[in-house]
Amino acid sequence: MNNSETDSSSNVTHGPVTSHGELPEEIQTGGEDGEQSHEAHGGMMQYMAVFVALCFLTTMSFLTYSSYWPWKDEPQVGWAFMMAVSCTKALLVVLFFMHVLWEANWKYVLTIPAAMMAIFLAIMLIPDIGLRNRMVSQERALHMARGSDVLLLEKAASADSSDEVGKHEH
Amino acid sequence: MNSTAASIGHESHGHHGPVLQYQPGLPLSRGKLIMWLFLSTEIMFFAALLGSYVVLRFGAAVWPKPHHVHLSEPIGAFNTFVLICSSVTVVLALEAARANKRSLAKTWMLVTLVLGSLFLGVKAYEYSSKFDHGIYPWAPRGRIYERPDLYYGSAVRARLSDPAILAKMKELDARPEGELSDAELTGRRRLKQVRDMVNNPNQQAFDLAVVADQIMPLPGEGSDGHGHGGGLNDTFGWLQLPAVIPGGNMWASTYFFLTGFHAIHVIVGLIVFGILLLYELGPKRAGMIENAGLYWHFVDLVWIFLFPLLYLF
Repeated sequence: MNNSETDSSSNVTHGPVTSHGELPEEIQTGGEDGEQSHEAHGGMMQYMAVFVALCFLTTMSFLTYSSYWPWKDEPQVGWAFMMAVSCTKALLVVLFFMHVLWEANWKYVLTIPAAMMAIFLAIMLIPDIGLRNRMVSQERALHMARGSDVLLLEKAASADSSDEVGKHEH
Repeated sequence: MNSTAASIGHESHGHHGPVLQYQPGLPLSRGKLIMWLFLSTEIMFFAALLGSYVVLRFGAAVWPKPHHVHLSEPIGAFNTFVLICSSVTVVLALEAARANKRSLAKTWMLVTLVLGSLFLGVKAYEYSSKFDHGIYPWAPRGRIYERPDLYYGSAVRARLSDPAILAKMKELDARPEGELSDAELTGRRRLKQVRDMVNNPNQQAFDLAVVADQIMPLPGEGSDGHGHGGGLNDTFGWLQLPAVIPGGNMWASTYFFLTGFHAIHVIVGLIVFGILLLYELGPKRAGMIENAGLYWHFVDLVWIFLFPLLYLF
């Protein structure tokens, strides 16, 4: 009750109270207020800096392919590196291009539960799908590709330089 | 609170009766709120797709290397670059609209539309290179075999005894050597060897691996998979013999499902940009551009994860 005074004072600045359940003008159209707060962030230089960073990071994912990459024998290191690069890129896009950096706290309400559910979803798939090859019927195992098949094909590819095919014939 | 607001309304508009003040729960417009709610469902949608992909991929006994399935890393990286550029242009369109530079806003919006279309064009080119190698999201799915085993051998034999193929092969055999190119000459000799091998009752596992290699060799690392020659399926397009890609079927399912859903999102974004281009893009439309932009950045975001997962892992 005691804030009736502040209410009435805010009424003065916001104009008359709307009767249609409409939002005040400056929120609805992102009008003057939005523009003012917007000038505080963003700006051409910042967008360009983010753009350059994104391009640089995309090139960085190729680092795992170059001869300078020292962990060729442990692909997991490369995967972790590429995921870290991707997460950084995603963060840059979300924070600067989607303006999340300058949003109020509602951003956490929307993004954190969704992200947690997304992670749980993937984890819940592991027992039935991720570990599906731990126990398979013999019949299915018969038709499944194995590492030995890839080795066999690679051996065939190296052995049969077109003219030598005849050698493997019976 | 309500009574306060009502009493204020009563004071200021006495003859209109009580007027209630609407207080937004969140300090943002309804359009933006709905867009963010929609995006949070989209996060879960794509997380489910990407999560299934990761779980399927790492749970598989064998998963094809990107070059085995004719994926080109540079093309994927180029598409990433295109989408990043389009994200920048949509932000610039928003800035221009807020500053009331209408024609500039329209230009940036048009550039975004062009970049999005370029992305789709590159994607279509990539899809067509998969189709050329017998990798389809729909029928005939049966052309990819997991292993060079007896089932594969009998599938090749069945295809080679198809009357239409037999007629074509007869025609090929009848052509004089002078008419044929080097690739076709080698191909004709290889085709004869493949026929002998699959019809040989004493064939061994290694023979069938050689047959698979003759029909569609698994490209080596660094090969971009485009215009790749050497396999019988490449030399004679009409042959369409079954090919062996270990783990290829599951790969194709996940690849087309993920990129297909992403492409649908790109198409929706392009339609929205097309509609926006019909309007004057001034400060009044800034909210609309911002919401369309939020969606577009999300589409970019999904691709940022899809690119390394599909092309580089």
